Amino acid sequence: MNNRLEEIRKKHGIKQEELARALEVSRQTIGSLENGRYNPSILLAFKIARYFELNIEEIFIYEEEEKE
Amino acid sequence: MKKIHTAYLLAAVGLGLLAIGVYFIKTGDDLQGLLAALPYLSVGLGCVIFGHGMGEIVLQHASSRAPEAAKDLEIEKKDERNIAIANRAKAKAYDMMIFLISALLFAVAIMGIDLMLLLLFAFTYFFVIMYTTYYRYKFYKEM
Repeated sequence: MNNRLEEIRKKHGIKQEELARALEVSRQTIGSLENGRYNPSILLAFKIARYFELNIEEIFIYEEEEKE
Repeated sequence: MKKIHTAYLLAAVGLGLLAIGVYFIKTGDDLQGLLAALPYLSVGLGCVIFGHGMGEIVLQHASSRAPEAAKDLEIEKKDERNIAIANRAKAKAYDMMIFLISALLFAVAIMGIDLMLLLLFAFTYFFVIMYTTYYRYKFYKEM
């Protein structure tokens, strides 16, 4: 799953620390989300979407894996 | 507030157990068998409970003096990624433990050790497997 979190966060002029504090997660979690190393729970995805007043699909992009 | 009262109570109970243990070690010369081990057990338990209580007291005092740091600590503890990491590490350790216990069980069985000890190992292994099965069934029903 890809996401536009870093792009959206930077557009809002928010630091990782500030976003982490607002969402009550660690800064490392925000970093991992932005790098695509960690996929959030549905609850955290909703919290992020609500924080930026966007739909989940506008932030997280689900790409179906191609079957071999 | 309730947490700090419990911590003070734990520290007091721990200190009490420690004092009782030390008293019986110094005075109880004629204790035999299991009774002779009780004072040492009391000292050990007392130390653990006292340490736990004191740790909680220090943590509560530090939290009240630095609420920002306490909030950060709380966030780190509840962070879903940290919890996921801890759970994955525990799952890996469980797989390794199951493998190691079965290997150990096999090794001690062919070494011909005391049957009671062998049964104790086997029961521990069986208990762990049953515990896993119980929680698997419980979570299956819940989710």
